[in-house]
Amino acid sequence: MTTNQINRRSWLQSSATAVTSVAAWKSPIIANATTLRTNAKACILLWMGGGPSQFETFSPKPDHANGGETTVTSTAVSGIQISSQLPATAAAMKDVCLIRSVHGPEGSHPRASYVSHTGYLPTASVKHPTIGAHVTQHIGDPESELPSFVHIGRSRGVYSAGLLGVEYDPFILNSANQMPANTELSTSKNRYVRRLGLLENLENDGSTEGSKQFVKANRNLYEKASRLVLSPQMKTFDITQERTDVRSSYGDGDFAAGCLMARRLVESGVTFIEVASSNWDTHFDNASRTNTLCQEVDKPYAQLLADLKQRGLLDTTLVIWMGEFGRTPRINGRGGRDHYPRAFNVALAGAGVQGGQVLGATDASGNNITDQPVSVNDLLTTIYDALGIDSFHENMSRIGRPIRIVEDGEIIDGVF
Amino acid sequence: MNCYLLSWRHTMTKILNAVLLLAVWCFPPLVIFAQSPTEIAQKIDELLVSETIVSQTNICDDETFLRRAFFDIVGQPPSLEDVLVYGLEPSVNKRSLLIEFLLADTTYGANWSRYWRDVIMFRRTYDQSQLGIPALESYLTDALNNGVSWDRIAVDFITAKGDIREDGRAVFIAAQQGRPEETVSEISRIFLGIQIQCAQCHDHPTDRWKQEQFHELAAFFPRVAVRPQQDPRSFIVNATDFVGRRRNTNANNRFVGTLEHTMPNLTEPTQPGQVMTPKFFVSGQTLPAGTTDAVRRDSLARWITSPDNPWFAKAVTNRLWAELVGEGFYEPVDDIGPDRTPSAPKTMDYLANEFTLSGYDLKWLMQTIMSTQAYQRNSLDRRNYDQIPFQANTIQPLRSDQLFDNMMGVFEISDAGLEGTGQGPRRQQTPRNVFAGVFGYDPNDPRGDVAVSIPQSLAMMNSKFINEQIQAKQGTMLYRLLQEVQADRAAVQELYLRVFSRRPNRNELNTSLAYIKQVANRGEAFEDLLWALLNSAEFKTRR
Repeated sequence: MTTNQINRRSWLQSSATAVTSVAAWKSPIIANATTLRTNAKACILLWMGGGPSQFETFSPKPDHANGGETTVTSTAVSGIQISSQLPATAAAMKDVCLIRSVHGPEGSHPRASYVSHTGYLPTASVKHPTIGAHVTQHIGDPESELPSFVHIGRSRGVYSAGLLGVEYDPFILNSANQMPANTELSTSKNRYVRRLGLLENLENDGSTEGSKQFVKANRNLYEKASRLVLSPQMKTFDITQERTDVRSSYGDGDFAAGCLMARRLVESGVTFIEVASSNWDTHFDNASRTNTLCQEVDKPYAQLLADLKQRGLLDTTLVIWMGEFGRTPRINGRGGRDHYPRAFNVALAGAGVQGGQVLGATDASGNNITDQPVSVNDLLTTIYDALGIDSFHENMSRIGRPIRIVEDGEIIDGVF
Repeated sequence: MNCYLLSWRHTMTKILNAVLLLAVWCFPPLVIFAQSPTEIAQKIDELLVSETIVSQTNICDDETFLRRAFFDIVGQPPSLEDVLVYGLEPSVNKRSLLIEFLLADTTYGANWSRYWRDVIMFRRTYDQSQLGIPALESYLTDALNNGVSWDRIAVDFITAKGDIREDGRAVFIAAQQGRPEETVSEISRIFLGIQIQCAQCHDHPTDRWKQEQFHELAAFFPRVAVRPQQDPRSFIVNATDFVGRRRNTNANNRFVGTLEHTMPNLTEPTQPGQVMTPKFFVSGQTLPAGTTDAVRRDSLARWITSPDNPWFAKAVTNRLWAELVGEGFYEPVDDIGPDRTPSAPKTMDYLANEFTLSGYDLKWLMQTIMSTQAYQRNSLDRRNYDQIPFQANTIQPLRSDQLFDNMMGVFEISDAGLEGTGQGPRRQQTPRNVFAGVFGYDPNDPRGDVAVSIPQSLAMMNSKFINEQIQAKQGTMLYRLLQEVQADRAAVQELYLRVFSRRPNRNELNTSLAYIKQVANRGEAFEDLLWALLNSAEFKTRR
């Protein structure tokens, strides 16, 4: 993969100088060839499913009726204020690049979630790969004993590798508090190994006439799966191995456990981890429910950044905090906020991202973006760039149609 | 599944054949009968040889044929009794009799309803439509078992209205939330095999279809609405023929339709698009603006299913041929059309034409294809593209439901008695559905691209459910077998018959017996043997 990228890059550079009209075909790589990052190794996506309210998290508007009762707190970076429900995050602000001007094309959960994960609207004909699949394909370690793409937590939709094939599908843990399904041996290790030997011998004996492909694929699969379940690295999935004080530093709950697990997985060389928090769909009692959710997310998020940094992993790990859209500026009759894709927030950290800054802005009411609008595809392009991946890379659909990782989009100014 | 009816069927078929012969003899010019599947099958083989120079891969043996036909028609393995009885059956045409017998079993409808469910639902863009899956399966099962013709099924899906939990026909449209572009893309893909959606944003680069033609097709569907309903939660597919105050202001839902379809202006997105009138790209037939939803959809359904439209018959003929013989004349199966070249055009056209003459009879099509030598040859691995097609049948991975039923068959249990983990948000979490979450694959994708996954092997190796069933303790199949058959050699042979519907070869037998001796604990050794057979490639494929 790396070789391809380098070749592509040098080709682009030489052709960009030769052809002056190349501007019509604006690859983000051309524009930013010098910024192409190659040292990022991992990415953690903290998925706020349901669409978090920007007013109760990263864009409080205490001076406007739309802001409700949410109060603000100062952060470690002077001049940046966020909701007082996020004290730990406020203290970690020096590592965070906050984008307050993201906008998306969709206001329904499944469609907007699909767009945020794939860069495309859902279609019946092409199943677009999710971010984790692309990232794993490009920078994952094929020799890793652990799966390179892990999804933690129950969420509304778990997006797949689509046209890239099941090899790049996420390995799903319903909860970080238990071992992954079917990875605990049903017999003693000796007997398990004995069984595998019998399987192999019988497949050698079998009338494999004509079925060599399947027998071979089956053998490779069982070798890989056995390597996983017998691997000493399986203990990575057991967060009880962490010291009690480390566990409590992440706080309580499934999301906290997921963040701790994500850190453990990055340490073990896993490339992409998505940790899902759900229930941000606060159509009623928005303020109190969002506050509860902030308590579940604030401490683990900040601790994850601190932990990665302390271990020297933050420079090579991109951490994304995002949901599918934001919530309406006007508070509805039930104290809730509805879906609002026209202006919402995303937070980036690590992997060369300049922390301690805010990009983009909305007006006093929160209705409109007033500075540096960022489309979902701009965001995805930036994410891929941070990980050294050319977002114009094309994959073939089943019927031979070339599909770019991201169709269009530009790297967000000022992130790096 | 029992075979005791075979001889009875035999007699009945003879009588029926005599009656048919008499009828044809009496009224030859008046009555059009679909030609007998075996005669057509013979012509297909002749045509195929003339087109592809088929080499001499042998016709498969009866054991292989039995297992293959069972999986292909009823989606289950033959029982031990079936294997023994079929082996002893003396009649020369026992393969045809078996096909007829299985097609008459209601498990045929259940199996193929799951296939078509996956064809439709794997491409859903609206997850909540999964609420209608039980109704969809039940509609398809009944339609297939009752021999409802393919054109009728297409009309049912295209013109459906109503509650998706009560009427499975409405699920096809709900799977795309009634969005005109996505719905007509799926109609075209499934019923015509033409991927016209590639022309959605620009003229098709390699095909003849223009962007207008795509949006003229979408113009048959703007009035369709998919309205949510509470208590019980469901969705109603209906039409919006009048727009008053309920104008659809929220572009993000399809609760209310729009009167006409608009082709967006992609170069100037802020400009209003162009209003399109319905026109069917294959035949050029049109409807005026203002036409009601019912007339739009009825007309489109009629034009699509007309015998004058060759793509309607070709699409399903190609699909079923691919499922049964292992490779379509066109690949992928849902990308055919006038700008594609099939690997055996005369054979394809002939079979599609005969299928049209049969009155779009799906059972006739199954029986005809399964009567060909092309179907009945030994199986080989999927060919490389530089090799000649149709030299052999092709080994295929079992679909999730087939594999699940394969296990149920071996364990001699039924999933009817198994407890699920309750109603999920959209789909009942039955053991079968949970299994499908791991083993399911999109049957529209080229079968050679279907890959095995780590979670699949983990489930087969380590799941609690499977490991309980393979234990040699009271209540399991293995326990009964070991009780009844005391000799190890005979027990190994029977286990192979039960799991693979064949006897072990000498090496397999020796390896197994040596293993049993080595382990020195009969129950434990046989548990391991059963575990190994279930985890083998052969168990997960149909040859």
